[in-house]
Parts: sequence; structure tokens; C-alpha cells
Amino acid sequence: MSDQMKAIEQVIRQANVRHGVITSNIANVDTPNYKVRDVSFAPILDNEMRLATTDPKHLPSAEGSAAGVITVDSANPWADKNNVEMDVEVAKMTENAMRYQAGVTLLEKKITMFKSALRTTG
Amino acid sequence: MESFDVFQVSASALAAQRQRMNTIASNLANAQSTRTAEGGPYRRQDVVFTTDAQGEGQTGLQGVKVSGIVRDNSPFTMVYDPGHPDADQDGIVAMPNVNVIEEMVNMMMASRAYEASVSAFNISKTMFSKALELGRV
Repeated sequence: MSDQMKAIEQVIRQANVRHGVITSNIANVDTPNYKVRDVSFAPILDNEMRLATTDPKHLPSAEGSAAGVITVDSANPWADKNNVEMDVEVAKMTENAMRYQAGVTLLEKKITMFKSALRTTG
Repeated sequence: MESFDVFQVSASALAAQRQRMNTIASNLANAQSTRTAEGGPYRRQDVVFTTDAQGEGQTGLQGVKVSGIVRDNSPFTMVYDPGHPDADQDGIVAMPNVNVIEEMVNMMMASRAYEASVSAFNISKTMFSKALELGRV
């Protein structure tokens, strides 16, 4: 049970890290020489977190790690050597916020389930 | 706390864009000033933005700050106005090197960037408020 919670926690944590990076891009929309950053998360297969694969046909479950790698994209700079595209960043931020909210909603449901299980005995 | 540093990033952008707006306002206000404390006509000013890392360690958070205000050394606009007290013997007056259209465009850019950071701030707020309500059901 708590393994699932750990996985959801990773989703929220990753979205949180990415939100910070996108916010930085928006803040630096007019900073000369600034290059767009993003963060990528390498999937890790933690034994505690993946589903058991008892048959070769089973698909392994992959969960990401919280420690992301900051990537810098230096393609297509403007005249001031800055390549932030405001609309792209706002779209990324909205998408990422939805991901975050999905994670939080999932975690909320999990807590509600636990609470409901505790209540039925009473 | 690490999570809340993201607010500092948005706040730094708001402060920087507001300072830019102040500079633009000064430029527009002094578009016709032929006398300054340093002598000579007013020179257009501009802000220089640099990144400003926020938070500790490798958080990837990059705020922005105004690292300086620079003077635009482009030549003054020469206007023929013999009645002007600052006109030379040929009747030419050196007017500030402020281009009003350029300032207006700059102002629109500052305003848009400010609005974008306000939106980013609000999204951060919504996200964290939702997380704070966890388990309250």
C-alpha cells in the first residue's frame, strides 16, 4: 500500500521540481543569454516500488526518481541570445500543474480509502 | 523551504519588471528634458537583467535581478528651434535620445512579462494550496 503512495509522491515531487524550472524560464523571458531549461527524470527500478514480475510476459513497472537532471536547450535564440518562448512555457506550466493536481488528487483518494477502512470497524 | 523558493523566483521577476517599468516611465517623462543635473540633455536609460540563482544547491531555480541601469550613448536628436533657450548659434537644440515608440514597445513587453509571472505565481499558489488540503477530507 505505502509503495503506491511512494510512487504517487514521486509524481508530485517531480512535478514540483519541474514547476520551479518552468517558473525560472518565465522569470527570465527578457534576460540576455538565458537559455530554456527543463528537467528530465531517469526511470529507476526500485525493488520496493515495482510490481512483482513472476512471469517473463509481465511488464515491469517503471517509476521515476525525484533527482532530475536539468537540461539546457540552446536552439533558436533571439537577437539577445535568449530562447524563451513565453507561450510554450505557459503551456508547459499548465500541463505540469495538471500533473501535480492529478498526483495530489490520487493521494487524497488513497487517504480517503484508508480513512474509510478505519471507519467501517466502528 | 525548498518548495516555497519558487515564489521567490516569481517575485524576483515581478520586482525586476517593475524596475524596468520605472526606467521606461523616467525615459518618457524626460523625453523633452534638455537640462539635467549632470549637464546636457537627458540620456535614455535601460535596465540590464541577469539570472539570480534561488534556493540552496542544485534546485534549478533561476530568478532574475536588475544588475545595473545603463545609459544609452546613442546620439541626441538634433532639432531646429531657434527660440529655444538651449539652442546653439545655428538654432539647433540637442533633444534627449528617447524614442517614444521604442519606449512604448518596451513598456508593453515589460507589462506582458509581469503578467506572465503573476500567472506563474498564481499557479504555484493553487498547486500548494491543493497539497495543503491533503487529508482534510
